[in-house]
Amino acid sequence: MKITLKVNGETRVLEADPEMPLLWALRDVLGLKGAKYGCGIGACGACTVQVNGRAMRSCVVPLKAVAGDEVRTIEGLGGEHPVQQAWLEEQVPQCGYCQTGQIMQAVALLEKTPRPTTDQIREGMNGVLCRCGTYPRIEAAVRRAAAALAPKAEG
Amino acid sequence: MLTRRDFMAGSGALAVAVALPLHPAVDADAATAQAFLTAYLEVAPDGRVTLHSPTTEMGQGTHTGHAVIIADELGVDLDRVSVVTAEPADPFRRNGQMGSGGSWGVRAWYQPLRKATAQAREVLIAAASAQWGVPAAECVLERGAVVHGASQRRQGIGALAGAAAALPLPADPPLRPISELRYTGRKVPRVDLPAKVRGEPVFASDVERPGMVYACAHLSPVFGAELEGFDRESASAVPGVIDVVAIPGGAAVVATSSWAAIRGAESLRIRFKPTPHDGLDSATISRQMRAGLADGAVPINARQDGDWAAVARGAQRVIEADYEVPYLSHAPMEPWNCTVEFDADGDVHVWAPVQTQDRNRNAAAAAAGVPAEKVRLHTTLLGGGFGRRLGSDGIAAAVVTARAVQRPVKFFWRREDEFGQGWYRPAQVARLKAALDVDGRVSGLHVRTAGPALSASFGLQGLPPGQLDGSSVQAIRESRYKPAAFHVEWVRVDQPVPMAPWRAVGATQNGYFLECFIDEVARATQRDPYTLRRELLAHDARALNVIDTAARAAGWDQPLPKGRARGMAFVESYGSLCAEVAEVSLREGRPFVHRVVCALDCGSIVLPDGVRSQVEGGIVQGLSAVLGEAVSIAAGRAQELNFDTYSLLRIQDAPERIETIIIESGEAMGGVGEPPLPPIAPAVVNALVALTGKPIRELPLSRHRFA
Repeated sequence: MKITLKVNGETRVLEADPEMPLLWALRDVLGLKGAKYGCGIGACGACTVQVNGRAMRSCVVPLKAVAGDEVRTIEGLGGEHPVQQAWLEEQVPQCGYCQTGQIMQAVALLEKTPRPTTDQIREGMNGVLCRCGTYPRIEAAVRRAAAALAPKAEG
Repeated sequence: MLTRRDFMAGSGALAVAVALPLHPAVDADAATAQAFLTAYLEVAPDGRVTLHSPTTEMGQGTHTGHAVIIADELGVDLDRVSVVTAEPADPFRRNGQMGSGGSWGVRAWYQPLRKATAQAREVLIAAASAQWGVPAAECVLERGAVVHGASQRRQGIGALAGAAAALPLPADPPLRPISELRYTGRKVPRVDLPAKVRGEPVFASDVERPGMVYACAHLSPVFGAELEGFDRESASAVPGVIDVVAIPGGAAVVATSSWAAIRGAESLRIRFKPTPHDGLDSATISRQMRAGLADGAVPINARQDGDWAAVARGAQRVIEADYEVPYLSHAPMEPWNCTVEFDADGDVHVWAPVQTQDRNRNAAAAAAGVPAEKVRLHTTLLGGGFGRRLGSDGIAAAVVTARAVQRPVKFFWRREDEFGQGWYRPAQVARLKAALDVDGRVSGLHVRTAGPALSASFGLQGLPPGQLDGSSVQAIRESRYKPAAFHVEWVRVDQPVPMAPWRAVGATQNGYFLECFIDEVARATQRDPYTLRRELLAHDARALNVIDTAARAAGWDQPLPKGRARGMAFVESYGSLCAEVAEVSLREGRPFVHRVVCALDCGSIVLPDGVRSQVEGGIVQGLSAVLGEAVSIAAGRAQELNFDTYSLLRIQDAPERIETIIIESGEAMGGVGEPPLPPIAPAVVNALVALTGKPIRELPLSRHRFA
């Protein structure tokens, strides 16, 4: 079955099982390896991507549910995104496996809540697990990215 | 065999293997486009330097440490240095094996890398001085070029590499003075982070090979059960499934996509042979371990300082407490996977996230039926290791599958098998006794631990009866506390649950036992736990400095807001001394850590920010374990098979603040990846006990109710 969706701004037509989770379509069919398999049940967040601007766990979203939708993956951030830069400045990742999910979650969080409080950062990032224990730096990087993204002068 | 003891061993064997021998007389063949200065440290014609490192990068930052050591000693910009994990090779073996563990990554290779790099520098300088006809002593190597100041000549090292490769290596090259080191000791960005932040395919699970198919395992849920048979049709009915292959411990469903392979594995009707432990559960394991604490059990002696029996007889009183900890899962975020391809020459290529290269290469060779030299093991970056990738339990099945289907195969486990196959941190119990004299001083300590032998399960040779499993008494056997008598012993209570070293290994449970007991002794004698530790360490200036530093920075004597309490712990492991103070309160009946102060004396360091990140990570992982982690066992299998039931710490429960104080005492360089982890559990528990007044002798804390 053919399913059409927009991935990082490009229209893609996928010939795949409509039940296939978006994660595996991205990785195996489209060759976008940024989103990771961690749990398969939406519990760890390593697979987090944006669908129509919202952070979603792509391991539990079947392709048929995102037909016609706009999907953004870490590859679509371009590498110089303020969140990615903040991640480098704070030297966040250790093993790095969860970090693409962390970054995509942070991007979605800051699009919705540009100036998050500490509690909002912790709540917004709570769904993405990190086994290496980089949470203190994730919190600092989200704060730094928020500052970088904020308008320079207020009206 | 790579055993715990090997990881723990001193530097005796290491000292012999230190030199990374430079490759003898290799001509700079233009066809290879690379002039090999050494087999392991390459200088390319464009001046790029590549180290084929003995270490595995699993997030702990050793590749950056190695890049810094090389950039500094050679005299090149850091961005000119690349580090990859080498294939197994003699100079990279410690005690016969290549692998990363025991927090050895920087401390073991610091001097050998400096020496090898200095050798490279000296022959590069010699090559330039010969070309220019000037004395080598007048030349220096800086910013990637050899420079002769008097004649203002300058030549990049890439252009010199070919000539340098033909020169004899100095046996004992001078090392640069600290003042010339540009990166060591400074904040340096990690070399592996840009690719990780961009989401580039750096992990084993990202490897793609032409014609590759995907294989998902369906493994026995009961530890160690063997395959009896399967109904092939049940899986091959799934669209995309190509084949079902019998593998050690189960079957692999091979398909055209990961998803089809997963669905096939889930659909597969499979039968396993019964085992003697089909009815095993956690209560039975606990009962058996606790029986090891009883008088009739036969202990193995681990430490005997002074005469405990005499001290106990003469004591004003003896207090005792029993403790218990559960099995823990490593839970790296990347579930086990590797990619296997047989090439036209009969070589078996394996791309794998492993911490032990020789062990895995040998396992792959055995499964393929080829000599080890025919296996080309390409170690990728790891999506977490923590000890789980020290074993080789996943490699044979991948090789068997690739051989059966005659195509490159990406072989992977579902998360449920990552949790369910075992190889846990051991469960263990302990009984601790303290003899107190008339003044309430500790005149003796007696510790018996009981539990399964990690080395018997993990070591390839097992553990003969009567021999000590070092990890079962680790950090207590070596404790710097020095009462008049200190007796440590262990009772072996084997279980059929596979085990592997878990970050900081035996120090994780034993640090908790000893440090919580010290606080219990302090309470029983109405003394401040910090003061009591100072008494027990009065003979040891280095240790005193560590706990004093932590106490001072934490404001140990300062009052806290109501509902908050502090706890302290001090644990030495992997050559480093670590004291932590945690500030804890209860939030909706659950422990919450506001602040952790860590003082770490690791002798000397290369990367201060790298040390800090390891301290933060160790504290968070240790906190995760003490708050909520446990593998419970029923019907011979693990009950927690995914993150919905195995509770990893999330960011909302992370400490508000972690403060790291690095102490460079100038003692031998210690480890960093593991030592910050063990103190956090007892520090948090001690704070909670101070808060509630109730002893906590079983972990995790999620099993306790707090008012």
